[in-house]
Amino acid sequence: MKVLMFGWEFPPHIAGGLGTACFGLTQGLAKNHVDVTFVMPKASGDEDQRKIKIISASDVELDTRYSDYFQFHKEISYVEVNSRLIPYVGLDDYFNVINQKESALLEDVKVTEKRKYLFSGTYGANLMEEVKNYALVAAEIARNEDFDIIHAHDWLTFRAGIMAKKISNKPLCIHVHATEFDRSDEFSRNEIVYNLEKEGMEAADAICAVSDLTRNIIIEKYGIEPSKVFTLHNAVIPHQKEVERVEDVPYKIVTFLGRVTFQKGPEYFIETAKKVMEYDKDVRFVLAGDGDMMNRMIERVAELGIADRFHFTGFLNGEEIDLLFGMSDVYVMPSISEPFGISPLEAMRAHVPVVISKQSGVSEILQYAIKVDFWDINAMADAIYGILHYPALANFFAERGKEEVNSLKWEHVAKKLKGIYASLLPRN
Amino acid sequence: MRKICFHFQISQPYRLRRYHFFDINKHHNYFDDFQNSYLVKRLADFCYLPANKMFLDLLKKYEDISLSFSISGDSIQLFKEHAPEVIESFKELIATNRVEIVGNTFSHSIASLYGKDAFMHQIKKQEKQLKEVFDVTPVSFCNTELIYSDEIGEWLAEAGYKVVLTEGARHILAWKSAGYLYCNPFQTNLKVLMRNYNLCDDITLRFQNKSWEHYPLTADKYLSFLNNIPHDAPYINLFMDYETIGEYHTKESGIFDFFYHLFVQIAERKELSFMLPQDVAKEEDSVLTIHVPWAMSSSSDEKDTNEWLGNELQQEAFEQLFKLENLYKESKNENAKMNWLRLQAADHFAFMSTKWFAETSVKRNFDVYPSPYQAFINYMNVLNDVKLQLEKKK
Repeated sequence: MKVLMFGWEFPPHIAGGLGTACFGLTQGLAKNHVDVTFVMPKASGDEDQRKIKIISASDVELDTRYSDYFQFHKEISYVEVNSRLIPYVGLDDYFNVINQKESALLEDVKVTEKRKYLFSGTYGANLMEEVKNYALVAAEIARNEDFDIIHAHDWLTFRAGIMAKKISNKPLCIHVHATEFDRSDEFSRNEIVYNLEKEGMEAADAICAVSDLTRNIIIEKYGIEPSKVFTLHNAVIPHQKEVERVEDVPYKIVTFLGRVTFQKGPEYFIETAKKVMEYDKDVRFVLAGDGDMMNRMIERVAELGIADRFHFTGFLNGEEIDLLFGMSDVYVMPSISEPFGISPLEAMRAHVPVVISKQSGVSEILQYAIKVDFWDINAMADAIYGILHYPALANFFAERGKEEVNSLKWEHVAKKLKGIYASLLPRN
Repeated sequence: MRKICFHFQISQPYRLRRYHFFDINKHHNYFDDFQNSYLVKRLADFCYLPANKMFLDLLKKYEDISLSFSISGDSIQLFKEHAPEVIESFKELIATNRVEIVGNTFSHSIASLYGKDAFMHQIKKQEKQLKEVFDVTPVSFCNTELIYSDEIGEWLAEAGYKVVLTEGARHILAWKSAGYLYCNPFQTNLKVLMRNYNLCDDITLRFQNKSWEHYPLTADKYLSFLNNIPHDAPYINLFMDYETIGEYHTKESGIFDFFYHLFVQIAERKELSFMLPQDVAKEEDSVLTIHVPWAMSSSSDEKDTNEWLGNELQQEAFEQLFKLENLYKESKNENAKMNWLRLQAADHFAFMSTKWFAETSVKRNFDVYPSPYQAFINYMNVLNDVKLQLEKKK
């Protein structure tokens, strides 16, 4: 079985969880004897290609003589996007949309018969244009590569997937890691992104959602036929090195790690902190990360008068995160909407007990975690207090949690995916 | 003639409310009064009162019929508070002289898994209550969830009991049958009646199971089951939760009709005779010893104590609870003392169980916690306050 997979990023150069998930999934597929050709806008050459073949879209020559190419080109509308926007969209960001039916680029194309597009592969200002060009290149790749199935990750690559399907007539599987409903609230929702997502979902023969939560959004908010939407929970890539516990920390530490944005629910973390601190003088709360709600959060902490025991670290790199996990006694993820949410798994792997919101995809697969509603700060405070004060509970989570995380393997996810693929292929 | 022994258990606990850590040392009302009142009233209406009425009718109609009950002290307290008519209704049953009230722990306690003192205290407290409320002195004993071991049997013998009801656990009986009369190996005066759990599960677990080959279960069909077990074993012991009638299986399922006709048929056919646990107290012939070196119970398939003490959380809560035993003895705070007893209820520990398949147990119906961890945290918060209260007014 051969899969042509469209992604946007791949380790080591990644901006978010998407690249990590793609890496894990492709490694898992390789173990299940599925050949993967992974296409990304711009490969750097240092990606791990031992198990899969990587194609950089920037290196693909387009033969512009094909008529479908022009047909598609005409249909496409351009969108300009503010550079900080995607995929980590914030409340204060905005979209600037311009419809350009005829572009200078198109005329360019008419002159020569063959050309290449250069992709940045980032989430930059010309993102929508790159999305479109990526689709054009996808057509070219689909014409030349040998494959049985097309698999496209998130809306950035859906057009590429659709194009590849049009050219090859092979079944299309799209993978939804997040939807516009997770990235934004109802006031900042982007119609264009929503439409691109919906277009991809409608064109797909099968849809993989990273959680039941996301699956329900796909069915309810995008009106997709439930029978073709499958839940495919993420797994974790085995850790290279153990996170070391930092001894001699004079305080108990409760940690939040993530973007400081509306969807991550940082304000619930702060209100909870206030409740716990009133009864426990030896606890410190740490909010690690940055985002558009940062200033408001700092103000709130000052307002509550807990700034002496509440710390903001700003953005942390990988080593610093490991260090923080090594010091933490509880990890809290109060997300309002989280399609999956890989960070609690990383905390559990570092022996840190976790409290997570029920509104997260990861809560569907975890048993050794305390799950609360994101808005229920009393329950969240009870959970944190319980873990800090009843050592049996902390030890229980530290041990069982780690075992549980280690049992979540991409190999198993890929096996399930292989089954979905098989159901799409014509029977021999 | 073979003998059939019916025993029904009632063990409603005081259920805890959501007790936050910031309530510790501030509020001492740990119980969910609404939930407790609602459940007891519902059970009274759906189960205890109509079932008692049915049995009273049967007892009046057939003079051979007899049956036994164990009612925990907490349940009696809850009846007093929320459904006093249930107590009156039991008094009517007892007045027939063919209903035996069997001893048990005061608060559906698992103290027998901790130690003699705590356990004996629970028994004595319950004896006092049974004397006060029903004017009875039990000679038979049915421990919480049929928990039993040789050691527990010795304590019971010391407390003056003659008969104990327990599980016919496969790992204890091996090739032996639950249908014989056994005795404690060290206190041979203590008779041991062993439950035929397959026959009980046919009713409690499978009565409404449509995929079961014997569905629907009728009294006639059930009598044929009783007839099919080897006739040389003289006893058929059926012990079950009283809530089986009307709660686990609602009236609409036909459970009342089933029991009514079962009792009528047994009484009329005269192939089996009704027996009370106390009837075997003086039995001397063909009594065999049964060794139970470790505690067993009626819990799920394993018949062990893992439902209450299977994980580290349960063990921790258990340990912290009984650490307060001396504090309890010294304390003069009667409220706090009562609460400490109530925290011994098996139910609190079952809610902390991480045997995930435990949800198949009918008792999970009453589980109010989102997870075992929250059950643990809530319990520990309450326990911490009880400790403070016990310490305060020594």
